[in-house]
Amino acid sequence: MFALVKLVFLSRLSRRSAPLLLLLALGAALAPAVSAQPKDAPGKRLEAIRAEMDKGQGLFIAGNYASAAEVFEAGYAAYPYSAFLFNAGVCYQKQNDVDRALAKFREYVKVDPHAPDLDKVNQRIATLEAAKAAAATAAPLGEAGSGADAGAGAPPVVLPSADDQSSMKSLVVIETEPDGAPLRIYQRVEASAQFTLGAANPGFKEVVATNAPANLTLDVGQYHVVVEKFRDFNASEADMTISPGHVHQLKANLSQGKFMAFLRVSSNVLGAHIWIDDKKKERSLWGDTPHGELVPGGTHEVLVEAPGFEPFLSNVDLEHGQQKELEVRLERLNYGVLHIDASAAVVAVRVDDHPKGVWRTGTAPLEVRLDAGEHQLTVESDGRKTFKGKVVVPRGQILPLHVKMIPKYPRGAAWTQAIIGAAFLGASIYAGVESNRLYDELKSDRQNGTLDGSDERATRGKWFAIGADAGFIIAGTLGGLATYNFIKDPLPESSVSEDKLYEFEDPLKARPVARLAPYKALRQDFATVEPGPHLQLMPSASSTGGGLFLGGKF
Amino acid sequence: MRAFLPRLALLLGGTLGASACSWSRFDDLTENSPVVLLEKPDSMNNGFGVSLATATNQGHTQVLVGGTVTTAGAALYELGQEDSPNTKTSDSNFCSGQGKPCFLSSLIAGFANAQGPDQLRSLCYAVGTGVVVKQGLVMRCGDANEYTLDMPPAAQELLAMSIAQNQPPQDYPLATDRTDNPVLLASLPEKRLAWLYPEKSTAFSALPVPDGLDVDDASFGRSLAVVAVDGGRVLALGVPGKAKVLLWKADASAKVSYVGCLRGDPGMGKALAAGKVQADGDDLVISDDAHVQVVDGATLFALPETTSNECVLSGLIPDALKTWWDCKTTGNPSECEQAEFGAALAVGDLDGDGDGEVIVGAPKMLVRGQKNAGSLLVYTMKFPWNPVLVDTKSISSAESGDELGRSIVTPHVGKRDIIAAGAPGHGKAALFYCTAQLPNGAGGARCP
Repeated sequence: MFALVKLVFLSRLSRRSAPLLLLLALGAALAPAVSAQPKDAPGKRLEAIRAEMDKGQGLFIAGNYASAAEVFEAGYAAYPYSAFLFNAGVCYQKQNDVDRALAKFREYVKVDPHAPDLDKVNQRIATLEAAKAAAATAAPLGEAGSGADAGAGAPPVVLPSADDQSSMKSLVVIETEPDGAPLRIYQRVEASAQFTLGAANPGFKEVVATNAPANLTLDVGQYHVVVEKFRDFNASEADMTISPGHVHQLKANLSQGKFMAFLRVSSNVLGAHIWIDDKKKERSLWGDTPHGELVPGGTHEVLVEAPGFEPFLSNVDLEHGQQKELEVRLERLNYGVLHIDASAAVVAVRVDDHPKGVWRTGTAPLEVRLDAGEHQLTVESDGRKTFKGKVVVPRGQILPLHVKMIPKYPRGAAWTQAIIGAAFLGASIYAGVESNRLYDELKSDRQNGTLDGSDERATRGKWFAIGADAGFIIAGTLGGLATYNFIKDPLPESSVSEDKLYEFEDPLKARPVARLAPYKALRQDFATVEPGPHLQLMPSASSTGGGLFLGGKF
Repeated sequence: MRAFLPRLALLLGGTLGASACSWSRFDDLTENSPVVLLEKPDSMNNGFGVSLATATNQGHTQVLVGGTVTTAGAALYELGQEDSPNTKTSDSNFCSGQGKPCFLSSLIAGFANAQGPDQLRSLCYAVGTGVVVKQGLVMRCGDANEYTLDMPPAAQELLAMSIAQNQPPQDYPLATDRTDNPVLLASLPEKRLAWLYPEKSTAFSALPVPDGLDVDDASFGRSLAVVAVDGGRVLALGVPGKAKVLLWKADASAKVSYVGCLRGDPGMGKALAAGKVQADGDDLVISDDAHVQVVDGATLFALPETTSNECVLSGLIPDALKTWWDCKTTGNPSECEQAEFGAALAVGDLDGDGDGEVIVGAPKMLVRGQKNAGSLLVYTMKFPWNPVLVDTKSISSAESGDELGRSIVTPHVGKRDIIAAGAPGHGKAALFYCTAQLPNGAGGARCP
């Protein structure tokens, strides 16, 4: 069973500047929590920045401005990129916290004095200061901001209430190989304008001129990146679309003469291992999901594996300069493993009436590999109640089962009563039969006219009848008691408790964690067969935006 | 499996319990049982049921049960006229010997009416010999009146010797008929004597024995019978040791004459009985060691007086022998060879149809595995004289050695006769109220 794969074409860079390889990676936040680790490898660090940015953006879209501001503040503390400052300022502004908004915008201007949108930010600062001044004498900023701005006659005012998700700035990381190449970034100001290298390009406005590597904070919009002629390398160029609140990565490998493609592989299993063009896994991992990297254009063989899941192997065609995200949905293996131990010294385990082994106390749990699905589990032990129940073997996971073997309730009293009752019954039957025989004899004698009233057989028969009746009553009573005591069982039945499922051992010692909801063991006796209605909230992002997906089952 | 056994037990218990739990059904069975055992009085500690006699007068029926011959007394029981006899004795002082010597006879006789010393008394019994006021043949009546009858001098002398010298007493067998005014036939085997007390008379007449007739045997007179026929009685005296039965007749004037001797198979005359085997008149029933014969009473009475000392086969008497049978030919009773078939005889109209049934005692017969428990074999005559075994009576509580059938009488109760039989082996006397010949309902609550 191969996993589903979803190729997401985020954007495509212009390839009019063939010598420049440019990769643009747009963050697609998939993991809800990825710890920031500033000292990680550059790829990891960028993933962490992307996660923070996506998280803040998601909260902002959801209207949780306070939390979004905290995330952006924390992001800035860990990764001091000015985009975090601006975005935090917008969040404060949305909360009418003018002072803190002003502080963030002012800090933004301070730490990034060459920001391409410096004028706009200064204008926002001025507007806020004006609004703050007006608020001192009039209505609060948030509620009467429009009026105050209108009355001031100031330059166009960015109204706090007009901020939406597109107000979020994105972080753009541009690198070249080798470093130091001069960069120029032009923002498209006319929608239909086409950039021509070396021409006037009136539809574009130059917003950045710097050298690579560069970490830039840019507004949402269409841009054109130009890597100017550097050393022996020709100039290259590419279009770039900046989406709000994201981290964009661009890398130009000037020596290749072609754009490199950017492949990002994610899966429903965090930490699944990825091999590129190495299905025999002879080389080291390409990465663990989610993982993105520049790769040469062309066809690549992608192998994704995770313990407990079917391996995913697929070819991915990447054009030069193409950004592609491979979303792999790994499917669980069609078998699972039971780890069985018990509260008895020795237990014999049978599944579907087939012996599966014997577990002894002090040893490792008995490992039983079974096809996924429902099975009849039988656990037996001398002197203990046999456990019989159904167990649902999970797919691709290990289900620990702890069988509580309850001692059999002693039946000595019941057997004693049954035996004595049977003896009474036998005696009663004998007495009854004898009584009947005597009665028949006497009756025959009477019919023959030979019965005398003092015939001792009548007395004997009467006593036999009385004895039979008494015996039947005693036998019945003892039988009832025996039945009750045979049925009576104050002890509970042997039972099984399921421990938390866990994943197969990862030979690479990097045990992945399934992103999916925990696979619930389905056992009719002990657990719900299917999960009930539930809601699921997942963050998501794309080149055109981000947010949270709300889904569920009803 | 746990629950199966107890459920099975309950099922079986319920089923069998339902069928066997009613012990009261035994009471239903034994209530009004067809056989009633008479209770032996404590005073009779020496045998019970050795001899029987019955008497009926004006619807009042009694049975006298005798104990060991010469050493015990007898007890009287009131049977009433329905089927509810008094099982306790009403008088146990018959020949009890308390203060006065009395020697119970092996054959005792009951009288509807008996001539006393001064008047006619009803429901009297000749029980033996002894002393009341004077010595003689002891009579005791229902009103507890006792008296003695004179006997022939030889008998008186022998009795006197027994009383005076404390010699072993002699047996004086007695017999009578079932008329309202019966005669009494007595014998003294020791002296080969026999005599008769005519009806309503206390005087006796000796029975002559022809000279030369070989009857000198200790069994002389051990069995007696009085056959009542039109015009008189036929008196029969058995000498089974000689296989002979001596016959006399007594006419209305009390004249006694010897009419002949019957001789048969060994043991002939072991027991004698008289009764209406067929309704036309009393017949004489004779048993030997193997057979029972019925001889017509009227034919015997018609025999002329004789002094012949010859003794002929009963079959040679023209038309007298009506029928005969043995233990095996008419039925299938077991143990016939050892049963002492014919040890006692009686004739009674058990089904009330006017014809009598012959009841033959077989006191050594095996009953339900009980040796010598004894049985009563009831024969009826199908027209004209075809004997058919119609019933076999025994006591349901038969014990080995009971010897039921050692003595038999047929008391008249209601419109029929019932059987009273002694089982002296264990001191029992039983009344049999039902026979197979009884029509449905005719036997009352005791009979099916």
